[in-house]
Amino acid sequence: MGTLMVIDQPPYGIWAGREALDMAFSLAAFDQPVSILFTGAGVNWLRTYQDTREINQKSVEKNLSAAPIFGVEAMYACARACTQYGLGPENMVDGVVLAENSSDLIRQHSHTAFAG
Amino acid sequence: MAANPIHSYTLVITGAPYSTQAPQTALSFARAAIAAGHTVDRVFLYGDGVHLASSLCAPPSDETHWPTEWSTFLTDNGIPGVACIASALRRGLVNESERKRYELSASNLLKPFIIAGLGEWVEGNMASSRTLYFHAGG
Repeated sequence: MGTLMVIDQPPYGIWAGREALDMAFSLAAFDQPVSILFTGAGVNWLRTYQDTREINQKSVEKNLSAAPIFGVEAMYACARACTQYGLGPENMVDGVVLAENSSDLIRQHSHTAFAG
Repeated sequence: MAANPIHSYTLVITGAPYSTQAPQTALSFARAAIAAGHTVDRVFLYGDGVHLASSLCAPPSDETHWPTEWSTFLTDNGIPGVACIASALRRGLVNESERKRYELSASNLLKPFIIAGLGEWVEGNMASSRTLYFHAGG
């Protein structure tokens, strides 16, 4: 049940992921059940110690850390994409559940949405 | 033979006119849905999709004017068209009250579009039986 917001875009270079996060927070703010799946290049959102000074961008780490506060139920990361992008327990933010099979996850939700 | 179920739709457009086909595809869908007896509850413009609500688009005369096409369709069918305020302000789409608030030189929101928050999208999700997304590349 609930909505699965899918973030498949990297945190920098394109705005769609940020807009997807805003959608997730908005659902949560209206007490609608929502979880987020990071997949493809989107798993880079979950990297710790993002240093964005040289690209003159705000780090997305702070935005993402607000997810549990807003009431986002769960954050999932595609296990295969994590391997592809070199993400593991040592460099990933806490509280992320690895998803071996994203299609199962999609089936468990009544809505799936991308920001773009 | 079982009758086809009737659906109510919220349409979300995130692709801009003239850089993606999303507004065109969404309009074709909306017309077909209504012709088949379904309803369109509302249209929500998000991200680059808000450019569809600009009154300042001036495409060449041999190209379709997608903002006007959408405006006419929404008005004729009494369907609310909502542009996300956060997306709109970032991209230079403002109504008269936002123009005053931010002391801008002009407003450019095409009727009957209105500017409102993501809550409109949330409400659409809850109220409609289907929510469909039209992204860049769609």
